[in-house]
Amino acid sequence: MSAPIASPVLLEAQGVAKHYGKFVALGGVDLKVRANTVHSVIGPNGAGKTTLFHMLTGTKGVSGGRILFDGHDVTREPDHRRVRRGMARSFQVTSLFLTLPVRENLRLAAQGVAPGAALNCWSPPVGRRSCADTVASVLARVGLTRHAGTPAGNLSHGQQRRLEVGMALAARPKAIFLDEPTSGMGIDDLDDMKRLIQGLKDEHTVVLIEHNMGIVMDISDTITVMQQGRVLAEGLPHEIRADERVRSAYLGNMITGGKA
Amino acid sequence: MSRHSHLLLALAIVVAMPLFMHSGSLASEVLIYALAAMGCNLLLGYTGLLSFGQGIFFGLGSYTIALLLTRWPLPMPLALLAAIAMGAAGAAVVGWIAIRQRGTYFVMLTLAFAQMFYFIAYSLPGLTGGDNGLLDIPRPSLAIAGHTLWPLASPWQYYGFVAALFLVAFWLLRRVCDSVFGRTLLAVRDNEERAAAVGYDLRLLKLQAFVISGAVTGLAGALHAMMTGIAPLSNAEYHTSEMIIVMTVIGGTGNLLASVLGAAFYVLLGDWLSTLWPRWLLLLGVVLMVVSLGLQRGLWGLGESLWGLARRKRPAPPAPAAAPSANGGQA
Repeated sequence: MSAPIASPVLLEAQGVAKHYGKFVALGGVDLKVRANTVHSVIGPNGAGKTTLFHMLTGTKGVSGGRILFDGHDVTREPDHRRVRRGMARSFQVTSLFLTLPVRENLRLAAQGVAPGAALNCWSPPVGRRSCADTVASVLARVGLTRHAGTPAGNLSHGQQRRLEVGMALAARPKAIFLDEPTSGMGIDDLDDMKRLIQGLKDEHTVVLIEHNMGIVMDISDTITVMQQGRVLAEGLPHEIRADERVRSAYLGNMITGGKA
Repeated sequence: MSRHSHLLLALAIVVAMPLFMHSGSLASEVLIYALAAMGCNLLLGYTGLLSFGQGIFFGLGSYTIALLLTRWPLPMPLALLAAIAMGAAGAAVVGWIAIRQRGTYFVMLTLAFAQMFYFIAYSLPGLTGGDNGLLDIPRPSLAIAGHTLWPLASPWQYYGFVAALFLVAFWLLRRVCDSVFGRTLLAVRDNEERAAAVGYDLRLLKLQAFVISGAVTGLAGALHAMMTGIAPLSNAEYHTSEMIIVMTVIGGTGNLLASVLGAAFYVLLGDWLSTLWPRWLLLLGVVLMVVSLGLQRGLWGLGESLWGLARRKRPAPPAPAAAPSANGGQA
């Protein structure tokens, strides 16, 4: 546990704020995510977790503050540019190319790192352009090799959630952002997902939003607790579990392993 | 594999039409509108963009070739290339603005462009002939250095010329659809949010789709003007856009041959029905309703479903009656 904490900071948010008119969704959040760790962001509904996510991945612009990634100021860069810097995300609500086969979903995700190639309107995506190695390794990793030819829309919910993570992996990112990867999953699928996320931090840095406290406490290296658009506490899982402010604020019995 | 079979089918259609049809002009019209519908399909079926700007590109092609052949007697192939370029340029302008919005507002922007273009064409009679359009467009033979390679005087001679261009365009568009670009467009069609999150610049992709679509549609407009000898204001009208979209939807989106089918259906049915009943467009409305309600993969999808049924010799009892409409509905 001590080794990852000493690893360099890959992603840093400095006073990141987001206002919608008068409503303050994020009121200046500081966050440091260290490389090759699983960093979870938790908090009750409306705490601003997803908004923070959108700021970090560039899905929406910030109202204030700075975001540094891998030594670059990416605050003003749109999401598709940040992908090239090595960020990739999965969605809270499954967001796939539903009519396209699983393999094609992953190929498109892998190809997105070099999006200029997508303007090639002459050559079909074969050979070097098929990203076959990346696709095959991600298929194996998320356990969908057998379903490579199935349209994504025909997968079960658990399979779609794993493909959702695979889409982020296919970009071979430095940092992978997972927004509630277990949402709506059955018990059987949960362990698969947990193992999958745990296995990611060898090669990637994981930023995780998750409601399932059991999973969060088991696999996180660092946990940031948010409340009403601000950081309430940050620390190791056992520190968060013991933190009085967190307890009294809202976690209550959730922290003991209950569900969201 | 499938690429070649589609090209062969397109070739078969081109060869078959002279055998079964008596009018070379009608056959040419089918292929010309097939070109326009394929251009529309690239946007609607592959990219998910409903563009009412297609009439602009069609009209630009018509006007360009008319002006170049009547006022500056340019060699015909060069004039055609210029018409294609104008279609592409028009599409670049319309696309560049319109793709800033999505959904309804995108459609409204293309519609606004279509209306503007019509009134600009109407109010510049010096250039476009205004209400009368441009008349007496010649149809010079295809010649190099004074040697006639391909006379285009008769309707069937002209059909041959159109057919050759159609096949080249079909082959090129197939290539585009099967390319890395075409396959990425499908991703944009399926899920824009994910496509952007995965790293694609949606604007560039959509803009390129627009330019290619505009080029093909400009070619169609030019060939139409050469066929009829006029570049009427109606070619630039909103109605032309609507007609191209209707053909594309009836044929079925997401497949180029389906657009050929849709264009053939529209042109031939229209030709036949209009001799029987001047209000034939009313019946077309019924066809469009059937397609929209239950056959969303169009005539092509219907054909595929029937073909699938025929090959599965003895399907399970409940399947036969329900299959065509159910398959069409869920696509």
